Amino acid sequence: MEDYDVRSAASILASVKEQEERFEQLTRALEEERRNVTLQLERANLPPNPAISQPLAWQQVVMQEQSPSNATSLAMMQEPQEVVEETVTIEEDPGTPTSHVSVVTSDDGTTRRTETKVTKMVKTVTTRTVRQVPLGPDGLPLPEGSSPLSSYTDSIDRRYMKNGGERFITPQATSTLTRAYNNSYNDSYVETPESQYIRHYGLHDGYTDLTDNYGSLSRGVNFRPPRYPYMPNSYRPENSYTLPIRKDDYGHVAQPQVPMGSSTVDLNRSQPERFQPEPYGLEDDRRSLGPEEEEPYELEPDYSTANRRTLPGTNRGRTHREPLRDVHRVRGYPDDPIEAELIDERHPYIHGMYSAPLAQPERGSMASLDRMAGRRSPSIDSIRKDPRWRDPDLPEVIAMLGHPIDPVKSNAAAYLQHLCYENDKIKKDVRQLKGIPVLVSLLDHPKSEVHRKACGALRNISYGKDNENKVAIKNCDGIPALIRLLRKTNDMEVRELITGTLWNLSSYEPLKMVIINHGLQTMTNEVIIPHSGWEHEPNEDSKPRDAEWTTVFKNTSGCLRNVSSDGAEARRRLRECAGLVDALLHALQSAVGKKDMDNKSVENCVCIMRNLSYHVHKEVPGAERFQDPSALQAPGSAGPQRKKKDDAGCFGGKKAKEEWFNQGRKNGENDKNYDTLDLPKRTEPSKGFELLYQPEVVRLYLSLLTESQNYNTLEAAAGALQNLSAGQWTWSNYIRATVRKEKGLPILVELLRSDSDKVVRAVAIALRNLSIDRRNKDLIGSYAMRDLVSNLPSGQQRPAKNLEEDTVVAILNTIHEIVTDSSENARSLIQAQAIEKLVAINRTSQSARETKAASHVLQTVWSYKELRNALTKDGWNKSHFQPTVTATPKATKNGKPGYDDTTLPLMEKNQDGYSTIDQRDKDCKYKTDDGSADLTEREPLKNDTNRKHYIRSNRPAVSLVDACDVKPQPVDSWV
Amino acid sequence: MSFVPGQPVTAVVQRIEIQKLCQGENLILGFSIGGGIDQDPGQNPFSEDKSDKGIYVTRITPGGPAEVAGLRIGDKIMQVNGWDMTMVTHDQARKKLTKKREDVVRLLITRKSLEEAVKHSKGSHPRQ
Repeated sequence: MEDYDVRSAASILASVKEQEERFEQLTRALEEERRNVTLQLERANLPPNPAISQPLAWQQVVMQEQSPSNATSLAMMQEPQEVVEETVTIEEDPGTPTSHVSVVTSDDGTTRRTETKVTKMVKTVTTRTVRQVPLGPDGLPLPEGSSPLSSYTDSIDRRYMKNGGERFITPQATSTLTRAYNNSYNDSYVETPESQYIRHYGLHDGYTDLTDNYGSLSRGVNFRPPRYPYMPNSYRPENSYTLPIRKDDYGHVAQPQVPMGSSTVDLNRSQPERFQPEPYGLEDDRRSLGPEEEEPYELEPDYSTANRRTLPGTNRGRTHREPLRDVHRVRGYPDDPIEAELIDERHPYIHGMYSAPLAQPERGSMASLDRMAGRRSPSIDSIRKDPRWRDPDLPEVIAMLGHPIDPVKSNAAAYLQHLCYENDKIKKDVRQLKGIPVLVSLLDHPKSEVHRKACGALRNISYGKDNENKVAIKNCDGIPALIRLLRKTNDMEVRELITGTLWNLSSYEPLKMVIINHGLQTMTNEVIIPHSGWEHEPNEDSKPRDAEWTTVFKNTSGCLRNVSSDGAEARRRLRECAGLVDALLHALQSAVGKKDMDNKSVENCVCIMRNLSYHVHKEVPGAERFQDPSALQAPGSAGPQRKKKDDAGCFGGKKAKEEWFNQGRKNGENDKNYDTLDLPKRTEPSKGFELLYQPEVVRLYLSLLTESQNYNTLEAAAGALQNLSAGQWTWSNYIRATVRKEKGLPILVELLRSDSDKVVRAVAIALRNLSIDRRNKDLIGSYAMRDLVSNLPSGQQRPAKNLEEDTVVAILNTIHEIVTDSSENARSLIQAQAIEKLVAINRTSQSARETKAASHVLQTVWSYKELRNALTKDGWNKSHFQPTVTATPKATKNGKPGYDDTTLPLMEKNQDGYSTIDQRDKDCKYKTDDGSADLTEREPLKNDTNRKHYIRSNRPAVSLVDACDVKPQPVDSWV
Repeated sequence: MSFVPGQPVTAVVQRIEIQKLCQGENLILGFSIGGGIDQDPGQNPFSEDKSDKGIYVTRITPGGPAEVAGLRIGDKIMQVNGWDMTMVTHDQARKKLTKKREDVVRLLITRKSLEEAVKHSKGSHPRQ
């Protein structure tokens, strides 16, 4: 690199200057074109009277279309036309789309390349494609068979017919055609290509998320083919006689888009990216879509993507390009000694800096031009070569960020975004070249184009494992700058970029509090509340609004989800953030109402709720007032009482825990009242963090547990119940009783059969906390035992599910809690054939924690003298119920097992219930460390093979409800 | 799927034909139903409108005839072999489905995703 600098500093300087001049020139042309186009836009974009205005505009096009020589101006005419038809949203920046055109038109010669500056070329291409159809050699529409998508054939065919049949003879026909085209175009893309692009990128879980407007990915892909079938046409020699230049032009423009056939590949390739993120949905790279899609957004159309991307895996579908390039290389280089030299000079740089993929020779200064030219017909090609052009290198691009001309800035930023995509090395280089502060400073730039591109670049830079990049953004006050921009902008795309960047940043622990400090209230006010549909003071007339699962909402909720795991202070801040809990709850309720519970946004919301529910009974202001008064006397009264009853209890000496459980038991005994439990009367509806633990939330979580197919959501909902049912305050008593009254126990028990390890674990722990309530314990003992036991491994043979150690231990602890103090439940355990499994675990398990947990259960069972008869009859004897010496060295003299912190992390450490948060954190780290390899395992989550893959027992699950319940149980008959 | 009493119901329906499976003495369909006019509609987790007393598919045996035929959990059954199922008791519905002499059951069902699909396709060609 240094080497390179020294040798070519002069040439860089020269070229920068030159480029600046060029840019200036272009900008002027652009301005002019913009005016021109705006005029046309206004003329054509008269919605009340499209029938009149459009044909006019179209007529022009048609006229020009007849004369092949005019092809470029045709393109120009078409551009704005197309733009008109598309949604107006893209047009926020009218300059950009047209810039492309203007360049094309302004000079057809050497500068033509610069059209690639254009940001919104996708549209162009699509338009042209359609128009290309009727101009086929035979004038006939393409055979239906050539279109790979059958579902669209209908509309497409119609378009063909119009096109083919009338061939632009009457302006009217054409205009109908366009409209038809645009309609169906909008249908399949839903939005303009531009926004589609954004959507794609924003999606980690786009598939579920955007069902309404985006459909599925495959749809997007499907629609693309109509473009391609024609592309071969345009290359066909026999075609070129009709409109040689236009063909070329078309081909050339289309090329940078998505190469034929590679779209699917690229999309597939990028899928992991989209899902990649993380346990928490941490981050995503803006440009997860195939790189080719991006190119139009770059300075140089064909520039590095093509090269950098020539990795073996991504190169599929690209082969058709190569010959063209090669042809040109052969032709182009020798022609031009200067160019050749330049390339040579650049080689060390390229090799050193960008490593292998960049090493292709033609990747040099002339790369983009050459390649583009290569795709053209030879005649044009020869005109087009301009040795003075080359791609800027990284320091140059960063320098351009400070260029006085705005389009230069924005293009440089866009180019940086592109370069950084999936390239950690470049990200690091940008950081080291001090590019990040410049990008951050551009966030405050008044021009939307500039701050948008800067934000896009930051989003890509902030993605990935390299936390240094995140820190660098933070160190130059990037977080407040992003938040400022979020407050300022109404541009959806920019908001998506900002929140995406914040989401990425939030995955790094040390930044979480910074984000909370600067952005919590803003994100809540600007995104969470408006998108959740919640209204602070609902108008009586207005209908309650549903949540909108926008990308912005998903990103923001993902960010908050990450920061919500940053400890007590973070939780406090989030709970006290005005409107946040209310809005999240509203969003979730709307998700339940709409039966739309599998998407990422819902997952994020539930996870935040779960995290905020953690330790509520200790952390919320005024919690002491709700501490169960009986808890205070518990040490004296209940403690000894229990000791008598349960001699072999395994909590010997662990006072706090014991009391805690006793407390629960005591409540359990008083529990008859709970059936007629009077929830505290409220004079006014609860709001804010109070909502977290109101018994009303139980129904919400239960609905999610019943309906959602998303394992993460299921886990989080079970975790929320687990957190809420822990603790010894009034509200957890209510929650435990409410779960029973809302028939939540059967729902939870059913989830014990889930295929997902973590769901089983969360549910098992929740059941344990719920069984603090005596009635719950009896019910769980009678109805859940079989499912709990079936999750246990039989000795060394793991069950089909192969649950993790943590899960097995959690289940054993839950069983232990259920059989403690209840010989009835111990009997159920024996009847569930558990003893054999427990003994096997106790004797043979490789895991010390499992062994101990099993041993605790066995000892408790043996402590019930009334059961010993039955046990001996089954062939068991005392030795089976004693801890194995090796496994539990701490076993005490009384035969009481030693207490092991790791086995029972629950009460001892937290005094009140498991932390689900910590688990998440662990998960999170594991995730980030593990990178993409893990993703594939995650992905099945999206799969619809749902959790109901269990063998149904004959016993209806609904039996596990409180018998005292008055409501008739819903009947459910098998047929 | 909600409806106003007295107004004709418009629903996007799908036909599903299930070949009953012989299981011992019984012919089974491999799914379970919930709902009916004698049931508490508020407890139906699948209905959009909580006053809807229709018959809903609540469970499906994996690999069973219903699953094979494409029935899904949460589908609302509109008709069984031509018999209306939107205003029947739970037991009436069950009996219609479990007639001994019939080994094929033709269902008319509706589901949310169908409605959405139609809505979507309608919405997409507004100007044609």
